[in-house]
Amino acid sequence: MAVINQRERNNGETGYSLLFFAGNAWFKRFLVIFVGVVIGVVFYVWYSQHSSDVSPDSIAGYSYAIIGTLFLLFAAFLYTLKRRSHKKRIVGQLHTSLNWHICFGVLGLVFLFLHSFGNFNPRTGTYALYGMIALAISGFVGRFLDRLAPRLITGEVHKSLTVIGEDRIETISQKLQAIVVHNTQDLHSFAVVPGETSQNASTSLVPLSGPVSSDFSFIHKDQALQTPWDLAYISLEATPQELSLEANHYRFVPDRKSELARPGALMPGAQEHISELQEVERAMQRELFYRYIILYWRKFHIALALLTLALTIWHLVYAGQLLIPVLLHR
Amino acid sequence: MLKTGFKPRVRNAVMLHKTVSQVSQELHACIGCNECLLACPAVTESITIDVLNRETLSGPISAPVARFSRACYQCGACVAPCPVGLHRDAMMMWLKVRMLRAGWGE
Repeated sequence: MAVINQRERNNGETGYSLLFFAGNAWFKRFLVIFVGVVIGVVFYVWYSQHSSDVSPDSIAGYSYAIIGTLFLLFAAFLYTLKRRSHKKRIVGQLHTSLNWHICFGVLGLVFLFLHSFGNFNPRTGTYALYGMIALAISGFVGRFLDRLAPRLITGEVHKSLTVIGEDRIETISQKLQAIVVHNTQDLHSFAVVPGETSQNASTSLVPLSGPVSSDFSFIHKDQALQTPWDLAYISLEATPQELSLEANHYRFVPDRKSELARPGALMPGAQEHISELQEVERAMQRELFYRYIILYWRKFHIALALLTLALTIWHLVYAGQLLIPVLLHR
Repeated sequence: MLKTGFKPRVRNAVMLHKTVSQVSQELHACIGCNECLLACPAVTESITIDVLNRETLSGPISAPVARFSRACYQCGACVAPCPVGLHRDAMMMWLKVRMLRAGWGE
């Protein structure tokens, strides 16, 4: 029975919903955070009621400061060192370290908040606390982005790949190429063979070699040579640039009201493929954007951590300048 | 040989997805050293690299691999330690796409 349940559980997990359940690995750490916060808050309430000295530089205040700083140091260095060290690492250990990193970070923030005892004067300690709050918020936002952004990236990649997983841009480009070749062949059929009609000099169109579809693919034969060099010379005969009224001409460039003026009319299916191509390109741009969000949010979190560390050191130096003379004169 | 100490910074490189043929090539080039899984901060369970490789390209996806695939946040930590320079993040992305197409993704 247990084997069947296990098999069902193993086979039953498909799909990738936007709000997927990440598992219950965080539960133990959440319990530790809860117990730590409860102990800190209960002691805070008890101390506030039984002592007249409720300030950051009281015994309780120093205790909170030391414990909070230790938690933050654990949060900062345990995960970083574990990530960099390769000794005796097992699969899944880094994830556990990351959970402890979050746990210690939250506990450190709570204890340092309690260390303030409600004093939020614009001094070094307050700035350090604000830094820590920003750091913790950036961490939580980062974890949220770590869940959301990959799911969004997957959606964009899904658009960029074909059903069998090949590059969709390449597939569309091949189709477009086929259309262009097809249309070029069609246009070749409109080309008039030189010498076929009277006054053929004006209509003899010579297609360029290769699959090109623009109007530049056709040139008027010997056009430059037959243009009179003397502008004062006027003849009543038809020039090569003029079309004969008697000959049957295919009107290649239609007027604006014509159906042929519609974009893509001369290349059936091409416009759809071009918009599909643009859609895939936009999907790839969005994919890159989400990837940059993941990357730069991590950098932002590290930068905030360094800033908070600097503010904390500044606060410790400031507190040391106040505390050391008092201790020395006792 | 002169050692310059220069090490290319591949860890933070941002690259787009790969096609299934490229993923297939990389999977066949994998030597199964497990370094990518050891460096991964997203994997929570003990998954072997051969199971992951087998289920990445095609066929049914087991629950631990599905959970790992969803948990992978494309940080690229798996790329730098690979001794043969493969992109496990691209392989995981293909697995994610397969899962998205297979089920209740959209």
